[in-house]
Formats: sequence, C-alpha cells, structure tokens
Amino acid sequence: MSSEASSAVGGIGDAFRAYAKQLDAVNERRERLVKASRDVTIASKKVIFAVHRLPADGAGGGAEEAALGQAEKDLQLIRKTSIKRVAQELQDEDYWRFSRAFSPGMQEYVEATAVLHYAKTGRLLTYAEANAELSEVQDAGGQAFRLSAADYLLGITDLTGEVMRLAISSVAAGNKGAAASMAAFVGAVYEGFHVVPMVAELRRDLAKKLEVMRSSLVKIETASYMVHVRGSEYPEQFLAERLAEAPEDRLDPDM
Amino acid sequence: MMADSGRDGASNEEDILTLFEGFRGELEASNAVREEIKAVSQSMDAETRKMQAALMGIHAGTDEAVASAVAKVREHLEPLRTLNAQLAAIMKQHPGQYYRYHDIWRHVHTSCAFLVAFVHWLEHGTLLTHAQVESELQLRHEEFGIDLEDYLVGVCSVSNEMPRYVVNRVTAGDYDCPAKVASFLSDLYAAFRLLNLRNDFLRKRFDGLKYDLKRVEEVLYDVKIRGLQSRSQPG
Repeated sequence: MSSEASSAVGGIGDAFRAYAKQLDAVNERRERLVKASRDVTIASKKVIFAVHRLPADGAGGGAEEAALGQAEKDLQLIRKTSIKRVAQELQDEDYWRFSRAFSPGMQEYVEATAVLHYAKTGRLLTYAEANAELSEVQDAGGQAFRLSAADYLLGITDLTGEVMRLAISSVAAGNKGAAASMAAFVGAVYEGFHVVPMVAELRRDLAKKLEVMRSSLVKIETASYMVHVRGSEYPEQFLAERLAEAPEDRLDPDM
Repeated sequence: MMADSGRDGASNEEDILTLFEGFRGELEASNAVREEIKAVSQSMDAETRKMQAALMGIHAGTDEAVASAVAKVREHLEPLRTLNAQLAAIMKQHPGQYYRYHDIWRHVHTSCAFLVAFVHWLEHGTLLTHAQVESELQLRHEEFGIDLEDYLVGVCSVSNEMPRYVVNRVTAGDYDCPAKVASFLSDLYAAFRLLNLRNDFLRKRFDGLKYDLKRVEEVLYDVKIRGLQSRSQPG
C-alpha cells in the first residue's frame, strides 16, 4: 500500500495543479468581465444623466440636437470599447456561465440606450432594435454579442424610473402635456410585464423592480393629475415646486 | 424632447404589449427545458440517495461489509449512467447553455462525484481524477461533463466520510486503516492547497478538510500508542 500511496501523491498533485489552472482561468475571465461590466455601467449612467440634462420644455432646438447626438456617440463608444471586451471574453465560452458577471452592465446599458431612444422618439426601444445596435459588436470569430431577454427586460424596468424623472422635470418646466403621455407609456410597459412568463433569470430581481415601477407610475399619474386638476389654479412656479418636492423622496434605488 | 408625442400613443401602447408578448415563446420554451431537466435530475437524486444508503453499510467496518456495500452501490451505477445520458441528450439540443441550467443538476452531480470517487477509493485507495469520474459515469466532457467545482465538492465529501470510516474500521479490528487514511487525507489537503479558492462554497468545504484529517490523526494516535498497528505500516 505504501508504494501505491506515494505514487498516488504525485498523481493528485499533478491533477490538482491542472485544476488550479482551470479554476484560475475561469475566475480571471470572470474578473475581467466584472470590470468590463463596471465600465459599461459607469459610462451608461453618464448617458442617462445627459438625457436628464436635456431641456425639459419640449421645445427642441439646436442645443438639444447636439446633446442627443453626443449621447448617441457616447453609446456607440460604450459598444465599441467595453461591450466589445465582454464579447471578446465570451468567445467560445458558455454565455450563461459568466452572465452574472456582466449582466449589471448590460442592464444599465439597456436603460441608457432605451432612455435616449425614448427622449428622441417617445417610443420603447424593442429587444430586436437593442440587439440590432449590437450587431457590430463581435468577437474575433465574427459572433455578434446578444443581450439576454432577462437583461433587456430588467434594463427596461429601470427605464421606467428614468421616464418618471423626465415626467417630473417636464411638468416642472411647464411642459404640461408630458406627464399624460409618459403615464400612458409607463402604464403600457407595466401592463406588458404582466404578460411576460416568469423564468429563472428574472425570478431574483423582477418582483422588486415591478414594485418600483408601480410607484414610478403612480408618481407620474399624480403629476398628470395635478396638472390636469389644479394646473389652472396655481401659478406655474408653485406647481413646479410642489412636483419637484413630492417625488424626490423615493428615487430609483439603482442610482 | 419629443416626450409629449402622445399623438400616436395608442398605437404605441399596443406595440408595447405586442413586444412583451413576443417574449412568451422564448421564455416559456426555457421553462419547458428546465422542467424536462428537473424531471431527470429528480430521478438521479433518488438514485444517488439509494446509493448513499447502501454505502452506509461500510460503517459496519468489516472487510465483508465494505465489499458488500461497494457491490450494492455499484449496482446503481448503470441507472445513474443512463440518467446522465438522458441529461446529456437534453443538453445536446441546447448547445452552449450548460451553465444556464447547471443549478438544477449541480447538487446531484456533486453526489455522483462523491459516490464514484469514494467507491473507487474503497477499492483501490487512490483518488479518481475529474476526468476519471466523468469516464466512470460514461460522460464525454466536451458534450456534457461534470463541472470541476462540483467534482471538487464531491471530493470534499469523500474526506468528510473518512473519520467515521476509520473509527468503525478500527473497532472492527483493522488497525492499519488510520495510517492509510491519514496519509491519503494529508495528500488531499496538500493538493487542495494548490488551488486559489475564492470565498465561496468550495472554499468552505475545503476549510472542513483539516478537521477530518485531525480526527483521523487522533484515531491513528490511539492505535499507535497502544502498539496495535502491524509493523509494516509506516507513520
């Protein structure tokens, strides 16, 4: 037994050295994906802030055009740099093995690109459109990066919080029609989420996010109501102050 | 900002609902795959439980008891291979999604690794490698293998079983067993220390290894100071 045991020692050691390499490779890749994801998040937040800085009076104009163009360019840069890194790390790997590492960034990116799309068109960026924008983000094998349905959907839940803020600032800036259309938009999204089947990838986060979405919706509806019912009674500035106070106590928890 | 473009709001709202309904197919299909895997995984779980029960026979301690328990465990190996082949067949239809569903069979694969590795140790006194565990279960790693961490957790379970095994072997009169097991566990502990473990489940399981070794060494000490070991045994 003793000679057999000592030969096994070498066997175990060699095998475990090989395991160490495999584990390190996976962990290092995961770390790199977490970093890339964090970069996506940081840059995406900046785009979201830029959208909130757009003039909220609904008047449009050259300055707004320029800001929208810049935001578009910033998103393009996120795709070309950070998301590209994610795509490259995932080449020939199991997407789902690492999805938890890069999902936070992807959700923030969806939120940013969808809020910009909404600011420009008043419409919801579709899953197909979001993936089409990513079609040029490819790994070395020419495989395009794709958002998972879960990351798209969870990004859209956060979009509604941003639309709520847009609604408040629009009304505060005297754009009285904004709240009603935004309430309709968020209401439709909220309704939409109720026809989405629950899957494992959504189970952890969706319920909480829908709760937040509901409270955003209620805030927009309240703003719309105040404009509709009391708008004519109060001077514009007073209304703006009321609205600015009310919703700020509960902001998007992700911000 | 065009946010007040509520003019086409109605049609837009219908579009939004249609968009969300579009996810139904994809997500319900994923749920169906999950259910299919769960069914097989549950059968595997039942099988590994039977094997674990049969394995408890080794703690009677005698050579005959060990041999008979090992034979009983081996009887269940073929059904376990069949079930693993079924899982492999399901996953073959969903290439690149092993880790999407891995959480379902993770536990049962850990049990598989434990059982196969422990039985092999009882027969041969050596540790089956990751690749050997897979081939014992007739799995092809490129198609559908056992995750490395699941294998390693299974190996930790082998270690956890040793203190009890040693105590019962000594009680049944095998005084050379503690030295053999202590040497195996100390090699195993040294081998695990080669790994850079994150602060996760596997790390916790690894932290338990030294207590197994310590308990086995205590038994070894008891046997040694009483001069019960045969002379050929080292240590």
